[in-house]
Amino acid sequence: MITRDRLYWILQIGGWAFYALIQIVGSKIAFGGESVSTTQMVFLSCEALCCLFLTHTLRQLINKWRWFSLGMSRLIPRVVLSVFTLAISLYILRVVVSFPLGLYNNEVAFSLNNFIGLTLVFTVIFFIWSVLYFVYNYFERYNKSLKLEASVKEIELSNLKSQLNPHFIFNALNSIRALIDENPEKSKQAVNQLSNILRSSLATGKKGLASFEDELKIVKDYIGLEQIRFEERLKAYFDIDDESLDFLVPPLMVQTLVENGIKHGVSKLTEGGSILLKTSVTNDRLKIQVRNSGAYVNGERKNSGGLGLDNTTQRLKLIYGDEATFRILTEKDNFVIVEIEIPHIH
Amino acid sequence: MKALIVDDERLARKELVKLLEDHPFIEIAGEAVNADEAEKMIEELNPDLLFLDIQMPGRTGFQLLETLDTVPLVVFTTAYDEFALKAFEVNALDYLLKPIQPDRLTEAVHKIQEKERMRDGRGRDSKLGLNDQVFVKDGERCWFVGLTQIRMFESDGNYIKVYFDNNRPMIHKSLNALDEKLDERAFFRASRKHIVNLSWVESIEPWFNGGLMVKLKGGDKVEVSRRQAAKFKDMMSL
Repeated sequence: MITRDRLYWILQIGGWAFYALIQIVGSKIAFGGESVSTTQMVFLSCEALCCLFLTHTLRQLINKWRWFSLGMSRLIPRVVLSVFTLAISLYILRVVVSFPLGLYNNEVAFSLNNFIGLTLVFTVIFFIWSVLYFVYNYFERYNKSLKLEASVKEIELSNLKSQLNPHFIFNALNSIRALIDENPEKSKQAVNQLSNILRSSLATGKKGLASFEDELKIVKDYIGLEQIRFEERLKAYFDIDDESLDFLVPPLMVQTLVENGIKHGVSKLTEGGSILLKTSVTNDRLKIQVRNSGAYVNGERKNSGGLGLDNTTQRLKLIYGDEATFRILTEKDNFVIVEIEIPHIH
Repeated sequence: MKALIVDDERLARKELVKLLEDHPFIEIAGEAVNADEAEKMIEELNPDLLFLDIQMPGRTGFQLLETLDTVPLVVFTTAYDEFALKAFEVNALDYLLKPIQPDRLTEAVHKIQEKERMRDGRGRDSKLGLNDQVFVKDGERCWFVGLTQIRMFESDGNYIKVYFDNNRPMIHKSLNALDEKLDERAFFRASRKHIVNLSWVESIEPWFNGGLMVKLKGGDKVEVSRRQAAKFKDMMSL
């Protein structure tokens, strides 16, 4: 892995060496083999070295004055001005270098035409350097921010992933313990249901999306376990559209909704209540409804339960953007419906 | 000792009953499925001990305790409720996490026996004496407070401020109702607004209009109205 600084120096030295080479080879071709003396070659190399020094100084200043944080309208005049300054500086440096090499010619050095012509050429060269420099840096910054955004999104998603509620796990285990004496067959089945749920909750760390069919199995196991706990106080109904089975859903999301419905609805009612899971597909969009007994008091979240729904909305947003919808409705004061609509991802 | 099990889940109750078979010291007087039923049964059966689930439909275990004048010994049973257990200051007798481990239950039973021995030597009185405890909740914090710890009660609207240690949480009761429940040998109605714990009295000074000013250990001062002053002098001088 090349560090940024190293890459800069490689490009900088390589670039200006290439520039010197082009100059030398160019003048050889232009003026014929003999006319380019060794001194001339040294002079052209020195010029490239000066360019290296000047552009490096510019880079230091760009970093020092934080030009990357400037808007285009403020950046461009600054770049143009500094590029021009650099060109004039180079002209002066060339004159200085020409002395010890014995190439100095008073008339050439102070010829206005020569000055204007060369300065313009240098300006263009330095301008190209600046453009390359800025484009590279902007590109890299953009890349970095994209990477950052992606990793932030990933972290958020994994935080939002439904985790099984420990309260549920331990209550289920407690029921199973009692069931072992009372109904060994049923307790065996309950152990299987619980292990299915645990397995899928462990696997969700790896999978981004799961088929609705798998999710439905989990939900059924989950409800089965809660029915052992709540017995006749929890009634469950399913109304599943066959077309919904091959839709992809975020794992354990429907389970979270059902869990919320039971936790905040049915389990709060002395007489118990019911939960209904209904799905339908229209225009290649899946609508999932969880309808449970209980009342939803808007804004009132007495315990962490509200977090489940907040998480779900955030999760939907991260995965589907604006393509998914999430609604909470109340029906006749004694039913709460949570409704999700998601697009078909193939 | 008589115990009442309060849990909304039949299987959870059954499991606890089964586990308690190994501890004949504890006699299960009844099982309640919610707070309302528990409240009635506590009145009827007057149990010494509650095994109490916190999360129940209707009122929670905490809400049940708040309505009781005097609380028996309480062992909380819960599946997982860090939040609720953290709410407890030091003096919850014990709590058991479901599924209950037999060893932990044995431990809890030992604690209960110890506590019961300390409370022994006193028939269960209908009045609240110094050996009794009350349950107080203030926002998220809860306490079981022995009445010995309480310096005084002060009425404040429909509430009573309970003074103990550095806390003064409120309970929703009237001072008159409380006064009737309290053992008059231990607590004294100093005025319309105050009931003081006699064992906390440090000094008494004469005050205006034939009243008295009582200073309690810890620095609180309470005025005894003229009407009560004579009675108070009688009590304190035996």
